[in-house]
Amino acid sequence: MESLNSATIDAIRLLATGDSELWGIIGISFRVSTTAILIAIPPSLLLAFMLANGRFPGRRLLISVFSTLLSLPAVVVGLTLYLVLSRQGPLGDLRLLFTQSAMVLGQIALCVPILIAMGHSAFQAADRRAWETARTLGASPLRALLTVMHEVRFGLFAVLLAAYGRIIAEVGASMMLGGNILNYTRNIPTAIALETSKGEFSQGIALGIVLLLLAFGLNGMLHYFQGKGRFAT
Amino acid sequence: MTSFVNIEFNNISKHYRRRIILEGVDFKLQKGQCTMLCGTNGSGKTTLLRIMAGLEKPDAGTISTGLVEIKWRTYRRALQAKIMYLHQHPYMFDASVRQNIAYALPRGYSSSDRSRHINEALQWADLESLADNSATSLSGGEAQRVALARAWLRAPAALLLDEPMANMDQESRLRTHTLLRQLKSDGMAIVLTSHDEMQFQSLTDRQLLLKNGKISADSIPMQAENVSTFPVGHTARHHTA
Repeated sequence: MESLNSATIDAIRLLATGDSELWGIIGISFRVSTTAILIAIPPSLLLAFMLANGRFPGRRLLISVFSTLLSLPAVVVGLTLYLVLSRQGPLGDLRLLFTQSAMVLGQIALCVPILIAMGHSAFQAADRRAWETARTLGASPLRALLTVMHEVRFGLFAVLLAAYGRIIAEVGASMMLGGNILNYTRNIPTAIALETSKGEFSQGIALGIVLLLLAFGLNGMLHYFQGKGRFAT
Repeated sequence: MTSFVNIEFNNISKHYRRRIILEGVDFKLQKGQCTMLCGTNGSGKTTLLRIMAGLEKPDAGTISTGLVEIKWRTYRRALQAKIMYLHQHPYMFDASVRQNIAYALPRGYSSSDRSRHINEALQWADLESLADNSATSLSGGEAQRVALARAWLRAPAALLLDEPMANMDQESRLRTHTLLRQLKSDGMAIVLTSHDEMQFQSLTDRQLLLKNGKISADSIPMQAENVSTFPVGHTARHHTA
């Protein structure tokens, strides 16, 4: 108990003093995960909308596939992409393995099923009249889509939070594809795993505090917007 | 007013699974004419309206302008700016009344012109006092007036309304009736559905009775005279970009 207390105090001191190694790891985490989700959002939400409103062959199969992939283990994504990106793999010539780009690819693979499956549910909750009204008022398909997204913005925001929370906290894919290289591919979860394995708990706890604060902040934002300007009670 | 070529729908049929919704229906959209589609629930009124609006594809039939037959895809693409469909309960975007009306204004206007046109539409539908209210909290009659103000602003060649006076009080009915009369006098083709054959008699030029997906009667209603109207704004439309 005493060691936990002292490790927590050390962790807070590390955060407060602006430890460069610690903040470098935090920066890499946010950069990689934000890049991944920004790349994944447009095609995923478009497909989610089409699955919710379109009628085409294979639609139900696609919904089932993406729902199944929701529970895809991160290490499986890591292993698959490792094989694809390794020197003997089909994309080995790109030399992406153990780079931030590889981590971005892994995190895209992890968040796309969440964005599509949960986005599909969010779009299904939209009133179909929203799309029809927008179109009959002369909106282009893109403008009508943006209008519908605005109508279900709280649901979509919750989807984005779930996806972002999943990728910024995952260890398996980042470890296998990034290699946990200090100041380059070491992010918050891989650093926590490493420091814990070394018995150095201070940095792990500090990074854990950052993840918890992130989760709290994002959820607070969601509740704030759902309450339309005030924290919902 | 958008230039308008009369559109003919010939031999239109629609099925849902094995159920016949429309069978061999002919219909013509004509400038400045108001047509009422009557019939019981499930007679095919709404489906016919939605086909005309391009929201549902017919299983069979042809669409033509003049003597030229046009494909469904072309019709859908071309009609967007010309035909406007109003749901039985018009959809209000989660925004203010002013923003809902502004949505209907075509792009390309300067900021001052936009404000002017929106204010004119608000005045036309007597919605000035509600301009900054949330549109999602409006009553059925107020929402219908917002929808008609959007139509007035957009000025489509044809306006299709599904049960426009359903669940409305008398005052709202009179207001809606007056606004529709003004849109018709602007030259807009109006098609509306109703259970009540008497409701729009003073407005309609032609009355079609749908029964089991077929037109069972086509008549010219008796024009009621001295119909009460509600005093709403009489703003002239000046669409200049």
